Amino acid sequence: MPSESASERRLASSGEASPAPLLVTLAWRNLWRHTRRTLVMLFALLLGVWSMIVMAALVRGSMEQHIRKEILNLTAHVQIHSPAYRDDPAVEHRFAAPSSLADALTQTPITAASARVRVPAVVSSEYESAGVMLVGIDPQRERGLSFIDKAVKLGRDLESAGDPGLVLGRKLAERLETGLGRRVVLMSQGVDNQISDRGFRVVGVFDADPQAMETGYVFIGLEIAQQLLGMGNEVSEIAVMTDDRNHLDALVERLRATAPGLDVAPWTDVQPLLVLMEKVNNVVLLVWFAVVFAAMAFGLINTLLMAVFERTREFGLFQALGMPPRFILGQVLAESLILLVLALILGNVVAWASVAGLKGGIDLSMFAEGLQLVGISPVIFPTLATGDVLIANVVVIVLGVLASLYPAWRASRYVPVEALTRT
Amino acid sequence: MRTFSLLLVLLISPLATAQEAAPVNATALVKAAIEYWRDVSSMAVFEMNIHRPDWQRSMTMKVWTRGNKESLVRVLAPAKDAGNGTLLLDNDMWSYNPKINRVIKIPSSMMNQSWMGSDFSNNDLAKADDLIDQYRHTLLATETHNGHKLYVIEAVPNETAPVVWGREVVKIRDDHILIEHAFYDQSNVLVKQLATTEVKMMGGKMVASRERMQRIDKPDEWTDIVTREAQFGLKLPASTFTLANLRNPRN
Repeated sequence: MPSESASERRLASSGEASPAPLLVTLAWRNLWRHTRRTLVMLFALLLGVWSMIVMAALVRGSMEQHIRKEILNLTAHVQIHSPAYRDDPAVEHRFAAPSSLADALTQTPITAASARVRVPAVVSSEYESAGVMLVGIDPQRERGLSFIDKAVKLGRDLESAGDPGLVLGRKLAERLETGLGRRVVLMSQGVDNQISDRGFRVVGVFDADPQAMETGYVFIGLEIAQQLLGMGNEVSEIAVMTDDRNHLDALVERLRATAPGLDVAPWTDVQPLLVLMEKVNNVVLLVWFAVVFAAMAFGLINTLLMAVFERTREFGLFQALGMPPRFILGQVLAESLILLVLALILGNVVAWASVAGLKGGIDLSMFAEGLQLVGISPVIFPTLATGDVLIANVVVIVLGVLASLYPAWRASRYVPVEALTRT
Repeated sequence: MRTFSLLLVLLISPLATAQEAAPVNATALVKAAIEYWRDVSSMAVFEMNIHRPDWQRSMTMKVWTRGNKESLVRVLAPAKDAGNGTLLLDNDMWSYNPKINRVIKIPSSMMNQSWMGSDFSNNDLAKADDLIDQYRHTLLATETHNGHKLYVIEAVPNETAPVVWGREVVKIRDDHILIEHAFYDQSNVLVKQLATTEVKMMGGKMVASRERMQRIDKPDEWTDIVTREAQFGLKLPASTFTLANLRNPRN
């Protein structure tokens, strides 16, 4: 390679000049001495980076969907209860909202807040009866707070807190052999410990996901529920929705101060399983990153070792001409760095493109039943999270360079005479 | 309570039969029938035969009632069930089992379940009186039954009544004996039926002494109730209808 030997001569003579541009040039040219090998390596790295980012996007997407769905499924961002209610959601554990709370619930960042009666009940038709959660809602205020205002697919929504009708889930309607326009009987325990019951006409049938929502909940007007159970103006819970579910601490503190004696719980307390799932997902992603990276690293080290080994004589010559070993180290590292950076750029672009291409969601409805069991919805919308992309990139570049230290160190440790005489 | 009372108290009223009021008030007929079979108070021994395709079992029970709100049932035989009791006060129901020595309040979730494995639900017992004030009654027809006039009355539950049926049809004889009680679902399909097959003089009045409750979709399953003896208008102490008496029988 005439051009290279020319550079070396220049290096030997120029002395003080920074070696970086030279090393990079050398590394770049060395890479393309074996175009096919480099391309294969590049492709392997690219695939690894792509899989890390796309996998993360899928996991995040499905998690985000799951959390949003659960929050709409009557969880909301913050719930206010009487202290014992969450352990035993019975009618005894009711409370009257203090008037100061009403003001606090209209302030930012609260976007919606509504009181509910939520107690266990039995709903029966002529043929069957089923245990359900009876939810008394104020339909106007429930808007944007839970799924129910958009979920009624047959018949109509409840219209007001005094609406005498009842809305139940499609699956429950099937199970009870009842339907729109027919009457069912709700039975529950009233405040006086007596059985409260009343007939209701089914005015709406809703669809929900997961199906347990369809079989587990019936909705009636809040005022009707209070009348039925003899609760007066008292309620079981107040649900609060804000504009940002991740920063609730200040709000929770404020509500606790406004309503001392009541249990103010953010969704992370109400649904600890969701938080746990998120943590598990983080670990799964990290494990995935580690596995993919380990595979990539072995390929990378192997390729670099090959490259170093076949250039033994060359490195001997560099040293004989006066190149310090650290430059040789730098040269191999630069080679690996260029490869990694190229792979990262391409990998990120391809990953972004494939996530963008899947914006419409990945339809897994053929496995819907199995997925429902684990709480994943049949259509996954991948979501790119900056954090994950950053971690993937940092993992690849930092660990990649660390992994290439070994071949680079090997290259820099040759004894010039031995290296030159090796055949 | 309907069942107990039915088997206990369906009465004859020789005076009433003679009078033919021109417009018949259906609600009044139902009310009269129910008040008749409840009487002021009663005590009766009856047998309950539960029939299923592959098994059958029979229990003998004793029942006390007072007014419209209070009833107590105690199982006398077979020995393995003896001592089991049910106390009804208005709409509330308690059950006692001597083997576990516990009184259990029947929760609302269990009110639709079967009473002692029979074709009667707990609600059938607890809510019999609702037939008067939770329904609108219409006289559908007048038939004759063993020489008696038989009023066919349709009872449609009020909109908010805690009743699952679409309508019920009761046939009441002019001597206030309920001959048939049919339950229709909201598509007007007959679901179950209580029929009186024997009327006897007992404790000084005519009583529906043999009744059968049957679900129409299960023709080989039914529960028969046969009244063995009955007394009416007794002076029963208030202490009869208490949880203490349910647990520790004093009579």
